[in-house]
Amino acid sequence: MNLVEERRQEALSLFEKVGLPNKRDENWKYTDASRLADLLEIDGSNTAINIEGLGMVDLDAYRMVFINGAFDAAQSSLPDEVNIVSLATLQSSVSDDDSQALAKLFQVSGDEPLFNGLMALNAATASDGAAVCLADNSVLNKPLYILHVSNQNNVIRHGLMLGEHAQAQVIEHFISTAENKALSNCVTALILKNGASLEHSRLQQEGKQQSHIARVEVKQCRDSSYTFHGVELGASLSRTDLVVNLSEQGASCALNGLFVLDGRQHVDHHTRVDHTAPHCTSHENYRTVLDGRSHAVFNGKVVVHEGASKTDSVQSNGNLLLSKHAEIDTKPELEIYNDDVKCAHGATVGQLDDKQLFYLRSRGVSEEAAQELLTFAFADEVLAKMSNTTVRRYIEKAAFAKLPHSEGIEGLLGE
Amino acid sequence: MATNEEIQEHLGEREYEAGFVTDIESETLPPGLSEDVIRHISAIKQEPEWMLDWRLEAYRHWLTMEEPTWAAVDYAPTDYQSISYYSAPKSKDDGPESLDEVDPELLKTYEKLGIPLREQEFLAGVTNVAVDAVFDSVSVATTFKSKLTEAGVIFCPISEAIIEYPELVKQYLGSVVPPKDNFFAALNCAVFTDGSFVYIPKGVRCPMELSTYFRINALNTGQFERTLIIADEGAYVSYLEGCTAPMRDENQLHAAVVELVILADAEVKYATVQNWYPGDENGVGGIYNFVTKRADCRGNRAKVSWTQVETGSAITWKYPSCILQGDDSAGKFFSVAVTTNCQQADTGTKMIHLGKNTKSTIISKGISAGRAQQSYRGLVRMGKNAEHARNYTQCDSLLLGDKCGAHTFPYVEVKNPTATLEHEATTSKIGDDQLFYCQQRGLSEEGAVNMIVNGFCKDVFDELPMEFAVEANRLMEISLEGSVG
Repeated sequence: MNLVEERRQEALSLFEKVGLPNKRDENWKYTDASRLADLLEIDGSNTAINIEGLGMVDLDAYRMVFINGAFDAAQSSLPDEVNIVSLATLQSSVSDDDSQALAKLFQVSGDEPLFNGLMALNAATASDGAAVCLADNSVLNKPLYILHVSNQNNVIRHGLMLGEHAQAQVIEHFISTAENKALSNCVTALILKNGASLEHSRLQQEGKQQSHIARVEVKQCRDSSYTFHGVELGASLSRTDLVVNLSEQGASCALNGLFVLDGRQHVDHHTRVDHTAPHCTSHENYRTVLDGRSHAVFNGKVVVHEGASKTDSVQSNGNLLLSKHAEIDTKPELEIYNDDVKCAHGATVGQLDDKQLFYLRSRGVSEEAAQELLTFAFADEVLAKMSNTTVRRYIEKAAFAKLPHSEGIEGLLGE
Repeated sequence: MATNEEIQEHLGEREYEAGFVTDIESETLPPGLSEDVIRHISAIKQEPEWMLDWRLEAYRHWLTMEEPTWAAVDYAPTDYQSISYYSAPKSKDDGPESLDEVDPELLKTYEKLGIPLREQEFLAGVTNVAVDAVFDSVSVATTFKSKLTEAGVIFCPISEAIIEYPELVKQYLGSVVPPKDNFFAALNCAVFTDGSFVYIPKGVRCPMELSTYFRINALNTGQFERTLIIADEGAYVSYLEGCTAPMRDENQLHAAVVELVILADAEVKYATVQNWYPGDENGVGGIYNFVTKRADCRGNRAKVSWTQVETGSAITWKYPSCILQGDDSAGKFFSVAVTTNCQQADTGTKMIHLGKNTKSTIISKGISAGRAQQSYRGLVRMGKNAEHARNYTQCDSLLLGDKCGAHTFPYVEVKNPTATLEHEATTSKIGDDQLFYCQQRGLSEEGAVNMIVNGFCKDVFDELPMEFAVEANRLMEISLEGSVG
């Protein structure tokens, strides 16, 4: 058995030991993972899916398509000069002696921040993923668009490594084509070497019966910069753990999140940023718009360790409740073990501003349209930081379609 | 060294000649906790049957509970069988005979706080001081007492209330903090020995700040104290517990319960100054202060405010909470917590909005120095029916020194779309530019830090009764002494 298999076996026994998270775990206080137990049993057959017209078709990008957790080379287009392959391919080509590096990707320990059984299960059962390795000083000239299409359970594990001063833009997109119950379990592990820079967008648009469990792990070296945009529109239950380690001087991260929810959707993001080195910066901005009986959970934790002097950390979380039955639970946490820091966080829950509504209405905008515009503006602030306009437009349209009475003013968005 | 019981004794003797003195003369129970011990405590207190049953039920439930470990504090497990749950105050002959015999450190602190000499002797438990001499205490106290009686206010030790006013006690005791609420509350229910009972009748504005009265009596000390304050419709009372002067106390574990019941249109202001022994600079010794405090705004337009200045105790575990049931009721929480050396504090508040148009304000200022760890842990919950509920939270932490920690764990749960909530928190150290500005104008470094720290805490000190605000300022200076530079 090679190292990779060993690691996966270890992960499996770890999962068998800890099982699914339960509500007694403080990190799962508001999200009931017990309903995932049935989903783990589902055993689907690998059916082909026609992906024509799905996803961001006009996006000028390199593509990697995963259908039910398996890489579909025929529908993908990848650059020749850059090292981007599917994990399964890599695994089969790597010799046992060289498997050490790859084995690291499958290593799970119970001490990791926000550890839970599902991440061990992912390492144990992941069927495929993207393995991306950018050489030092290389710049990926087009975004890498990773499209996940599923109609059954799928387990995906991506590993991306950006060499020194490498730059890239990665978009992960999750769609499901069936309205059945199923579970996606996706882990993305990222390493940013000195001076590397990555913009990472993650758009989750799975079906209303789907459950989506994700974990994004980022390790940042000196002066690297990481930007995350997490957009949650779909799924019945979606949980993302975002773990960033600013491990060397001058690293910075910006984490942006947007949830637009309705019906009985439940979305939970736990973010954890560890400042372990001096002069690092973390900025976090999460917004939620909740309608119907939806329930959003945001838990943002920033830990400033001893020695992480001159830390600059800002966290803000804004929540708009549109319906009587919606619920938000938010918890912006700070844990600080160093005195030379500048840390702030803020959270708000509220409604649209009466004055702003009045302003628009007095200029002849109907009440619904005024509400819609203001809601949109509230949500869009998070997206404004996206550098790719095609992606941004796509998300805006998808998010907009979820708001009530969006027909009248959709034109304002432009093409 | 003076114990709180001694002070109680000095005052209790004069004040509560009927009920209190008998207690003092009873024996000390050996360490350990069992139903017999509880029966014994109840018997010493000459409590009625129902009270004993209540205690025993709490005790039986306590046996099934586990000590909570979620707070961000670290201490060796407590052996509940090694504690003596009832000890009669030591005889006053044990006390020092004059101030010359008192620990000079303690005297220095009194001096800095600006406590008059007579009061110093009293606080240090010097034996030959006639209680009358303590800043006119008895005459003042007696005047106060008659004034209170005239207004219909009941203010007495809770053990007395259990006998004298069983109806009121039965109706309200445990109605805000039920015996099964948490580990320490259950323990308190089983073994509490004393505390205060206040009842303000309908429409009565308590004629004086009970704080003023209280300061003289300082009776609110004891290991497992239980306080119950009831403000009937339209009543008003301001109450202060504790004292800025450091109280040396040999009891390691304090598990108090404070319950406030506020009916329609009533208002209660509750202020705490806590300066118990924090242990030495290596974290040896010191009080464990595990307190459950909760206010229940039962009527419409009821108001409550908690103000606390926490500088003492080795470990503090305390979350004064407000349940805002009545429509238009309001809760406020103002807190300054200072931790130095090896102190640990996990403190904050809970605001539970249930009624319409309920409002809450939270201002929490934490100062952490040395190797201390401090956490703000708060919950703001807006229930389904809390239409137009409003909350504003601000919690700021100031760090002095690179080995201390300050943490924030605010829980926010909102289930009503018309609710509005704002939460802000910052953590920083004193800016070099601020220090430079002050020093450039001739202040010493320490003076500059004191001024900045006092400014940082001003929002909270403004809420304290005036004379305490002044002392609280000085207290901060003393607490932070040596942690600058």
